[in-house]
Amino acid sequence: MASTTIGGTVTETSSNRPFREEIDEHKGHPGIRATTFNYARINDDMVEMLEKPHPSYFLLVLGFLSALLLGAVSLAIQVDVGIGNSGISHPIAWGFYITDFVFWIGIGHAGTLISAVFYLTRAPWRTAIYRSAEAMTVFAVMTAGLFPLLHTGRPWLAYWLIPYPNERYLWVNFKSPLAWDVFAVTTYMSVSIMFFLLGLVPDMAIMRDEAKRRGKMLQAKIYAIFAMSWRGTNHQWVHFMRGYLIFAALATPLVFSVHSIVSWDFAMASIPGWHTTIFAPYFVAGAIFSGLAMVMTVLIPVRVVFRLEDYISYHVVNKVCQVILFTSMIVGYAYATEFFIAWYSGSPYERAVFYFRPFGHMATWSLTGDQPVSFPLLAFYLMVFCNVIAPIPLWRKKVRNNLVAVWIICGLINVGMWFERFNIVGSSLQRDFHPYNWGEYWPTLVEVGITIGSFGFFFMLFSLFVKALPPMAIMELKEAAEPPMRKEHHEH
Amino acid sequence: MSTKFSGVWGTFEYLDDTTEAIEELRKKGVEPTVLSPCPRHEIDHALGEPQSPVPFISLFFGALGCLIGYSLPAWTASDWVLPVGGKPIVAIAPFTVIGFEMTILHAAIFTLLGLTILIIIDSLKNPIPKAAQEYLRFQRDRFGIVVRCEASQYTLYEDLLKKYQAEEVYVEKG
Repeated sequence: MASTTIGGTVTETSSNRPFREEIDEHKGHPGIRATTFNYARINDDMVEMLEKPHPSYFLLVLGFLSALLLGAVSLAIQVDVGIGNSGISHPIAWGFYITDFVFWIGIGHAGTLISAVFYLTRAPWRTAIYRSAEAMTVFAVMTAGLFPLLHTGRPWLAYWLIPYPNERYLWVNFKSPLAWDVFAVTTYMSVSIMFFLLGLVPDMAIMRDEAKRRGKMLQAKIYAIFAMSWRGTNHQWVHFMRGYLIFAALATPLVFSVHSIVSWDFAMASIPGWHTTIFAPYFVAGAIFSGLAMVMTVLIPVRVVFRLEDYISYHVVNKVCQVILFTSMIVGYAYATEFFIAWYSGSPYERAVFYFRPFGHMATWSLTGDQPVSFPLLAFYLMVFCNVIAPIPLWRKKVRNNLVAVWIICGLINVGMWFERFNIVGSSLQRDFHPYNWGEYWPTLVEVGITIGSFGFFFMLFSLFVKALPPMAIMELKEAAEPPMRKEHHEH
Repeated sequence: MSTKFSGVWGTFEYLDDTTEAIEELRKKGVEPTVLSPCPRHEIDHALGEPQSPVPFISLFFGALGCLIGYSLPAWTASDWVLPVGGKPIVAIAPFTVIGFEMTILHAAIFTLLGLTILIIIDSLKNPIPKAAQEYLRFQRDRFGIVVRCEASQYTLYEDLLKKYQAEEVYVEKG
């Protein structure tokens, strides 16, 4: 024990202490070994993740950057030439761009679900994955937000969507779901970003002090900016924790409202196949389903590369898979309900659309030159296979404990959910009330390029995130871990 | 407000030592500042369950956002009347979406601003010495207790922190 009387600075006397201590397997959460680690080890493990990356990391980022570049070039062509350069034309006014928008908004939902909803329900398995899922939300919503702007054809006039005072006394139509969308998506993006940054503050302070400890002063200065003078005093914690809880409570209804509002873009229209009350819960379940699948698609490689078995344990993967399975059943039920209601409604238009989706020859898109394939038909069967049939093996624990199998299934779900969005957006517009008004939709290379670019954008941002910021919430991992006690700690 | 700090601070390895020291200090009428690597309810309990006024800020600005969310569409719809299919000009049901979004947005923005301002105010009211700020293990694996006191009380609190197994105790003579 050192007792020093000083007037100015303190001499660091603790740097020689051991930082890695013995692990007591009997403490902490039974499914997550990291909760048995001491505080110092959690710091060390997280700092280690942010060390200089392997050259293969740069190759990976380069690959994503190439996809982004393809998207950027396609975007430039699209903006320069105009919306006529896409496959969007009467009567199919919504094509790949709105499909991409709905898909990416859905992907974003898992982050808020994990960070806010599971925080309120005190699900301990969320601790290791919520920061990455939250980052995914921010990146996915940023990606999604680009598409409606692009879809307008003149993105430089996007400010017209905002109700600002103007000399023409014209205001946006607040009765339109498209105006609701502007408010819903911007609110969701703002709250997600604030929630994400708020959670980062204590971790940035940890990184600041760890960088100082390791003599990396430039890094320490950068982290210090984001740490905002955080010291971890009780006065700071009390306001922080209460604010964080409120943010979680505010973000929770957003999980359910945002995709409901996106679904009303469709459901408020009178188009057969869209005009249905099931859309809001159907979209929300689909969003959570696809978002969690994307979380696994991204985090399983992260787990392997960074050797995070103690953090993203089989227990965590199992829990996520169980939620995926549950939402898969909701989505499958919604598919069946749509068909039932179309039949039960007695409306010939509804029945026709739901006949055309699985059986109709609605559009031909030649993949091989001589074998015409109906694109929406392909979308329908891929949707059913990937979202309803492919997740069935997850019922078995053996499959849930097989990371390769989980990764493949989640990849298939991502594909299936994109096609589900296309199935909803594209097929109804191709066959509305009057055969005279029927049409076909083929995506152009520009649309395909922008879609690929959106994936490049998302994955590149995520790759940069895992090496620039702590991809796990260090503060919450410590909170979940057993605290250092001189006496026996009975409470957990 | 003087920026000079006068008092005693110590570091602790164990949480139970820390909470016992806090309880002893509070019995003597001292409200210490506690530093910890993560939030611990044991510390809150020892400190007497301090409360934050942040929820009131969220509630007030959420209500304000709700008011704005309903009144903005109502005012704009009345400013430029656009009858659609005989539907009401000021329609509550569709404006509820805007009301809801503005409630959440205002509550979130002002919760963030509010907690930031509260943290700044509390940090100014309860300063900690520069040396404690620069002690790198509070963000790692050590707990800390800071006691602001007069020079005549240095020994009293230094001994108290040592009694509860403080690893290091420092006296800051303001």
